Amino acid sequence: MSRFLARFGHERPALGGAIVLAIIVAAALLGPLLWHVSPITVQHAVMGHPLPPSAAHPLGTDLLGRDQLARALQGARVSLTVGVTAMLVAIGLGSLYGAIAGLAGGKVDAMMMRFVDAMLSFPTFFLIITVEALTNQFSLVVIVLVIGLLSWMVVARLVRGEVLTLRERDFVEAARALGAGPVRLITRHLLPNALAPIVVAATLAIGDNILIEAGLSYLGLGVQVPTASWGNMLQDALGTTALVAPWMVIVPGTLIVVTLLAFNLVGEGLRVAFDRSIDQ
Amino acid sequence: MIGYAIRRIAGAVPLLLVISFVSYALMGLAPGGPSAILSEQSRALTPAARAAFVASLGLDKPWYVQYFYWLKELVFHGSLGRSFVGHRPVIALIGEKMPVTMELLGLAIVVTVLIAIPLGVAAATRRNSAFDVAATAVAFIAYGIPVFWLGIVLIDVFAVGLRWFPSGGIASIGRENDPLDRLWHLVLPVATLVVVGFAPWMRYQRAKMIDVLGQPFIRTARSKGLSERAVIYRHALRNALIPIVTLLGLSLPTLVGGAYFIEYVFSVPGMGYLALNAVFQRDYPTVMGITIISAVFVIAGNLLADIGYALVDPRVRYE
Repeated sequence: MSRFLARFGHERPALGGAIVLAIIVAAALLGPLLWHVSPITVQHAVMGHPLPPSAAHPLGTDLLGRDQLARALQGARVSLTVGVTAMLVAIGLGSLYGAIAGLAGGKVDAMMMRFVDAMLSFPTFFLIITVEALTNQFSLVVIVLVIGLLSWMVVARLVRGEVLTLRERDFVEAARALGAGPVRLITRHLLPNALAPIVVAATLAIGDNILIEAGLSYLGLGVQVPTASWGNMLQDALGTTALVAPWMVIVPGTLIVVTLLAFNLVGEGLRVAFDRSIDQ
Repeated sequence: MIGYAIRRIAGAVPLLLVISFVSYALMGLAPGGPSAILSEQSRALTPAARAAFVASLGLDKPWYVQYFYWLKELVFHGSLGRSFVGHRPVIALIGEKMPVTMELLGLAIVVTVLIAIPLGVAAATRRNSAFDVAATAVAFIAYGIPVFWLGIVLIDVFAVGLRWFPSGGIASIGRENDPLDRLWHLVLPVATLVVVGFAPWMRYQRAKMIDVLGQPFIRTARSKGLSERAVIYRHALRNALIPIVTLLGLSLPTLVGGAYFIEYVFSVPGMGYLALNAVFQRDYPTVMGITIISAVFVIAGNLLADIGYALVDPRVRYE
């Protein structure tokens, strides 16, 4: 583990990504406590005339005259919450499914993986939009479940592949000889040893989920106003133009790009660090 | 090889059954079906007339019965049903929109490949150079840009601000058959798709090229005294094209499934536009039609990718 951390420390871009992520998480957690302006209160009398950044509103205001810094901070909470929890749903389900398929092997494995093939043949994003539009339920719980339940398949494949090689190894054989049942084998022996690729997939998945949430919100199918998310801030910005109020387009867009970049850098760094610490 | 392809195609049938059933189940079980919207449209109708109208669309039956009827129509008449909105056959709607999406996405993929492959090769042959680091950095940043955001920015700058390109649509009114006019409309959406999409192509090409350049046959080619150009383009590149073939196969579905955001942002009347409208209007038959056609293309894309392997790599054989 320490060798792995040292390796990760050598990955400069990944370290930079980790620092940026720490800042974003800190801003999401502490920001609303330090910046006391409400994200939903209209700040000035004339609506439809967003104000440029100023001392009172460092990131300007939006079309309805709401403070963009406060909305960006609230949006960070929403985006990170959706990204992380949907990832947990997908990783939990995918790891378990993949581990069971890999351990069972034979016909059960073949059947289970055929189902994964079927799920992967869905136009997934279209399905997410369809389910969101039909249920008309835009609570965070529903958004998280929909994204999570439709994105576990890749993890399942990954974990199954790992388990297929792990289950032939001596330590698994030894555990089995000591009387370990399938539940103990999966939770104590197989999944912990497949952790490296799972962690990499999880990191990258958070970024993907944030992008999906932004897309859904942009189409009006995600987080609903007045609650801010980076996606629905962009939806608001489409009503105006970058020429009149460029800050409305730049603020949420930059936040999404920087956050995704950070998650992808960290994910890539983790992958390299894991690979190298195995090589040594 | 042919036997393999036939077996794969036969295996796709149960796959499509599962996909259509699950899609129908999801739509059927989701609260807020189309009947609410339909009855709103027909507020003037008497309750009896409304009931007859709903029954005429088959919406009075439970969802699994509706699914059975839908499947029967598909199997025995090759029909995907009629749209709830406008009552045109779904297949006609799809046939009308698909060429538009293929034009946009096809051009985008061609441009992406033409840019990404030389970039990937150049980055691989000049590994860890300033060029490689810069190209990798740009790829990482570009990968995280939301399509709709870049689309809006490009529209604002190049269409609204500079007025160089139109802000949306596929052709000027009255000039639908003018290829130059169509191309002019495609510049911004294609540019958006290329920027957002080139990163994986370039990264895969770079990684594979590095891998291939380290293999013994490249050393042999070099020691034969071949020029570096010949080594890279004639020997290494051919072997390094496998991931590109895979990506081409995997991007086939987007050719028909449409890029929802790009068509939404640029008002391109293609499959993505049709799909989003169908979802918003709860037009079940159209949603099902698009899902099934998309799934067929996903499966076909995977198959073509596997066959493509065998074509670029003679060692790959399918029994």
